[in-house]
Amino acid sequence: MTALRPGMAPATERARIGIDVGGTFTDFVLFTPGRTGLVHHKQPSTPNDPSRAVAEGLTTLLAKAAIEPHQVGLIMHGTTIGLNAIIQRRVARVALVVTSGFRDVLEIGRSRMPSSFDFHASKEIPLVPRDRIVEIPARLDRHGRTTQMPDDAAIATAAAELRGLAPDAVALMMINGYTRPEVEGALAERLGALLDGVPISSAATIWPEIREYERTLVACMNASIQPLMQRYFDRLQERLAADRVTAPIFVTGSNGGSLSVAVARRRPVETLLSGPASGVMAASRVATQAGVSRIITFDMGGTSSDIAVSSDGEPEFATRTEIGGLPLVLPVVAVSAIGAGGGSILRVDAQGILKVGPESAGADPGPVAYSRGGTLPTVTDCYLVTGLIDPDRFLGGRVRLDRPSAEAALSTIAQALGMTGPDAAAEAAWGALRVATSGMVTALFKTMASRGLDPGEFALLPFGGAGPTHANLLAEDAEIPHVVVPGAAATFCALGAVAADLRRDFVRSLRRRLDPESTAALAALFVALKQEADSWLVGEGGLARSVAVRRAVDMRYGGQASELRVEIPDGEVAMPILEEAFHAAHERLYGFRDETAPIELGTGRLAMIGRVEPIDMPRIEAAATPPEPRAVREIFLGRWQRASIYDRAALRAGHQVAGPAIIEEEDTTTVVLPGWQADVDLYGNIHLKRRAA
Amino acid sequence: MSLDPITLEILGNKLAAATEEMCATLQRIGRTLYVKETADFCCALAGLDGRFFAYPRSIGVSGFVGLDCRATIEAVGELHPGDVILTNDPYRSQGLATHLPDLHVVAPFFHDGRIIAYGWAFLHCSDVGGRVPSSISPTNNEIYQEGLQIPPLKLVRGGAINADVELLFRANCRTPDANMGDIRAMLAALRTGEQRLARIVAQHGGETVVAAAAALIRYTEQRARAVVAALPEGRWAFSDYLDSDVVSDLPVRLAVTLTLTADEIHIDFTGTDPQLQAAMNIPSGGRVHPWLTLRAMALIVTLDPTVPLNAGLQAPIRMTAPEGTVVNPTRPAAVGVRHAACVRVNDLLNGAFGQAIPKTMTAANSGMIVPVVVAEPDGRGGRNVQVVEPMTGGTGGRFGHDGVDGRDPSISNLANNPVETVEAELSVEIERYALRIDSGGVGEWRGGAGLELSFRIGADHSVALARGMERALFRPWGMAGGGAGAPAEFIVTPAGKPEQRLRRVDMIELAAGDRVTLRTAGAGGYGDPYRRDPDRVLDDVRRGLVSVEAASRDYGVVIAGGAVDLTATAVERAKPRPPLAAAGPERAAWDSIFGAPELDRLARALADRPVTERQSKRRRLYDEILSQLPQNFPAVAADEPVRLRARALLDAQIEALEQTANARTGEAT
Repeated sequence: MTALRPGMAPATERARIGIDVGGTFTDFVLFTPGRTGLVHHKQPSTPNDPSRAVAEGLTTLLAKAAIEPHQVGLIMHGTTIGLNAIIQRRVARVALVVTSGFRDVLEIGRSRMPSSFDFHASKEIPLVPRDRIVEIPARLDRHGRTTQMPDDAAIATAAAELRGLAPDAVALMMINGYTRPEVEGALAERLGALLDGVPISSAATIWPEIREYERTLVACMNASIQPLMQRYFDRLQERLAADRVTAPIFVTGSNGGSLSVAVARRRPVETLLSGPASGVMAASRVATQAGVSRIITFDMGGTSSDIAVSSDGEPEFATRTEIGGLPLVLPVVAVSAIGAGGGSILRVDAQGILKVGPESAGADPGPVAYSRGGTLPTVTDCYLVTGLIDPDRFLGGRVRLDRPSAEAALSTIAQALGMTGPDAAAEAAWGALRVATSGMVTALFKTMASRGLDPGEFALLPFGGAGPTHANLLAEDAEIPHVVVPGAAATFCALGAVAADLRRDFVRSLRRRLDPESTAALAALFVALKQEADSWLVGEGGLARSVAVRRAVDMRYGGQASELRVEIPDGEVAMPILEEAFHAAHERLYGFRDETAPIELGTGRLAMIGRVEPIDMPRIEAAATPPEPRAVREIFLGRWQRASIYDRAALRAGHQVAGPAIIEEEDTTTVVLPGWQADVDLYGNIHLKRRAA
Repeated sequence: MSLDPITLEILGNKLAAATEEMCATLQRIGRTLYVKETADFCCALAGLDGRFFAYPRSIGVSGFVGLDCRATIEAVGELHPGDVILTNDPYRSQGLATHLPDLHVVAPFFHDGRIIAYGWAFLHCSDVGGRVPSSISPTNNEIYQEGLQIPPLKLVRGGAINADVELLFRANCRTPDANMGDIRAMLAALRTGEQRLARIVAQHGGETVVAAAAALIRYTEQRARAVVAALPEGRWAFSDYLDSDVVSDLPVRLAVTLTLTADEIHIDFTGTDPQLQAAMNIPSGGRVHPWLTLRAMALIVTLDPTVPLNAGLQAPIRMTAPEGTVVNPTRPAAVGVRHAACVRVNDLLNGAFGQAIPKTMTAANSGMIVPVVVAEPDGRGGRNVQVVEPMTGGTGGRFGHDGVDGRDPSISNLANNPVETVEAELSVEIERYALRIDSGGVGEWRGGAGLELSFRIGADHSVALARGMERALFRPWGMAGGGAGAPAEFIVTPAGKPEQRLRRVDMIELAAGDRVTLRTAGAGGYGDPYRRDPDRVLDDVRRGLVSVEAASRDYGVVIAGGAVDLTATAVERAKPRPPLAAAGPERAAWDSIFGAPELDRLARALADRPVTERQSKRRRLYDEILSQLPQNFPAVAADEPVRLRARALLDAQIEALEQTANARTGEAT
């Protein structure tokens, strides 16, 4: 256990690098303990072989930071390769083995359809087609007793059938396998021995949670991206080795933490949603350092906008999310889509009503102003026509925007809306921004209402290309009193990666009525999960400076079908503690407690967090003189008005700017509305607040 | 006041979102399982005319968008701030409530001393008293058996709950605390709605919001009419059956005539059987009612998926639902399981529209929802009651697309239960939960497969319920040359004894080791199966949904060694073959005696009798004719002489009815 002792982690004293592989850019952030300042780099991505952009960008980054490859102590790496593969169903050829009688576990799913009205809607495409599903007589009962187990001959038959299907990977699910994962694991080994090296993912071993469909999907997703991810990691390690970078590589997970490559190779499913999670983690760090405790993150990208909620540096987690139309039950940072992105397309329907999205021009052809063949006006074109963004300084001038074309496209919209006069295009653009904003606000309210949260008690923390441009519009309409625009929003996900702690989640389902006996079983379960977690953390090397453990159990009143995840404090697991924790949680969320109803215990959960050395966010210089606007330009917010234009790079700690104003930086533009004021803090974050009347 | 298109879009967003927030409040605070698990609730905003102008899209019961609060509002007289109306009475609310467990509340929302809108919420509560726990049983024959009837009345006056009403309500239900909890959840939802509306009014002005309410309905109406305008004009008739009225083996006929004109859909249910002495009547009040128009609304949304949901969806529809029939019963007809008849009304409209727009509509869906419930001793002196699975079938094939296997969201889009959580709750062992091979109706585009659920009972003195067992006799029909889906089957195999097949199931007693198997019907197929691409047939065979034998017998596709034998297939497909019975042999046998023209005449003759006499007259007539026919008719067809005799008898009986009717008319004049 020496690896966990503070001061025994030399790797962290060398440079730490966060890398986020996106569809367009691969972002880098480098942090060196003891040195102030982070080094950033953006490298165009190489989708055919993403490891190439990583290796090339890394070389550039090291040169920028004047660091030798051997001085790199740790690489934290996030990627969406697995996610994209599942969404586009460009996955490995997987065969699935299930208990006899349950071949249709994926076809039937949870039996719901996307709409009860639209009878042309189709159901999701199963990850494994029915003809690659093999049944075997292997089953446990609800108490974990083996009721069917194939003999060697039956295993050989199943293996022969599997080999005939020529799979790249195999998944296995036994009904009630969650009760004793080791039984299913042993079966996986017996089968795997006859599969000529094809990897086999056992559902109960990866994620022993009750609910066969969801658990089968965990195994199938794991199997379907495993070959792809392993090939990627192999290439990445080869390339980095060739460049003499020998630092250990960690991979960020959907839960906002990170895992070693060795673990990620076995359990790639844990990394699926690492991209969005990293952004939220970075926002949480920024907010904590800026002294803001409760935030709603607002990530506005090309096709859509996402929000997440984080309190005191800890994001909210979801244990049910969707990937490519399929449910995923692993704990992930809870991110919800709320509507339009910069590429969302405007149109006027047959009845003369203005619509924004959901169709998107994406990055290709993109907005009209990109001059890449886009002819349909988008939200980004509206920013341009209303003067909120500068055509010459978009993405640091890397993309020149064509304002006359955007205006022409918006004039067509204005005409369809019956708008006339010289300002018609700007009026249409402003109308579209209001429509987009109202869509986001209503979605945000609904998301918050379903969790019992009041948006007025949060600050909005925008990132992504258009986040800071739209944040003030959103905050004003939603009556959110405070917006924090972080510094260095450009490489935000990479920042989240470099700051990521080690984290893994462990589960076991109990599904028993709460009584002294099941309380003891839960206590034993937590001990077992803790041992599993400890041995994982030790295996990850000496990165962790300190360790935190979070325990929770899903509980419900007898008769309820849905469960509530209840945090269980450290220390003894006693029945009165469990009861009170559940009643209190139920009352908080649902408004009542029922002390006469029996309580049922569901799934026990344990999260192990190995804290790495925290990052010091760099500070900026203090202001000596008032801020100087670079220019003044007319912007349209219902009418034309003069706004001062500032360079963000020239702003210093303590500077104040009154709206209407525009603050420009290389990768984004912050809009400050009339009646609002911007304050720059020590770290260069911009705080927007309503000016006292 | 007319609104600019930007304000209208913004208000449309905000008002619909307000209703979704109302639902979120209700779902969070509501206590009953129906609320939390099956989402059998909804909230909306109604305009001054009582119709919904804002309705949630992503939460709650979609179909109720067509309900009308007007009669409920008018029933209570003047409304003041803080008043809330409560009702569950299908007859006195004129179809706002459609069975007694559905509690509906309506509240006026004021601005500057005037009502500017109404908030509405409903939920399905656990129990409102009556003959059986949970209040619903198909064998109830009067609404008085179904629980406490609450005519529209003011539950809340000026913000204070009427204690007398609460006292009476509590005394008449089995779960008073949970019910009052649910009512409080609805009141909280109304408060959320009131606050959200006030916020919107503060931002945009009261007059703008009132104008928007009307404009939003008009907007949806325009889009709905645009869909209708694209449909062909004409008139089409269609009929379909429920296997039985639950209290006997007598089938129930539902008939419709659909008339499409340039911008209107006229739905006429003349020809439908008299109201039943069972609980499957649909209390529509004879209006354009969601339970009678669901498939028509679905058609509009299918062809215009982003149309905002509000009362405008119903605007192009006109309704004729004769009084005293299954689709417009009069008091005191029981209505508890009206959704069972609604499933068939859906098929009926589907079939009628299918003749008008065969390339848009589907063949029949499986047309059944059977919640399989097991109750077993819980070892503590009580009973443990759980739904094993809510069983549905698939959806019908349609032009260019196979139906969906094993899922049918057309009436309620319910989630099923994980096998493992069922086994954790009950001592049953589920042996099979799978798609049914060879069950989807054959066709160029195959009907969706039905499901099979098979489980073994774990404890003596258990009871199983399988209400809604339908389509075991009359199969889901095929379309455009496609065949019918396989009929549903219910099989009980007592431990160590031979299996028993049951056509009708209400409740059966079981012991440990007994096996229960339910196979739901497959959905209908579309188009000539001999035109199905042989590669698609091969794919179905590979995936195990069609057997090699059925591929050859039904599709003329010969499969050998895992591949299509093209030569043999060409030979097979060139052979002459008997015509397919689109709705299956049972329906063909039935129709060979009980033809549509005769039954339409019968319906007309019965309609002239008092409502109370119709069902018994009808029953006597059928009993007499069926007594001439083979025991298992129509599962077994009648031969020619018997058929002719039965038809003659039917004709004579109808004529007799018509004459007495004429005589009575004569007397009256």
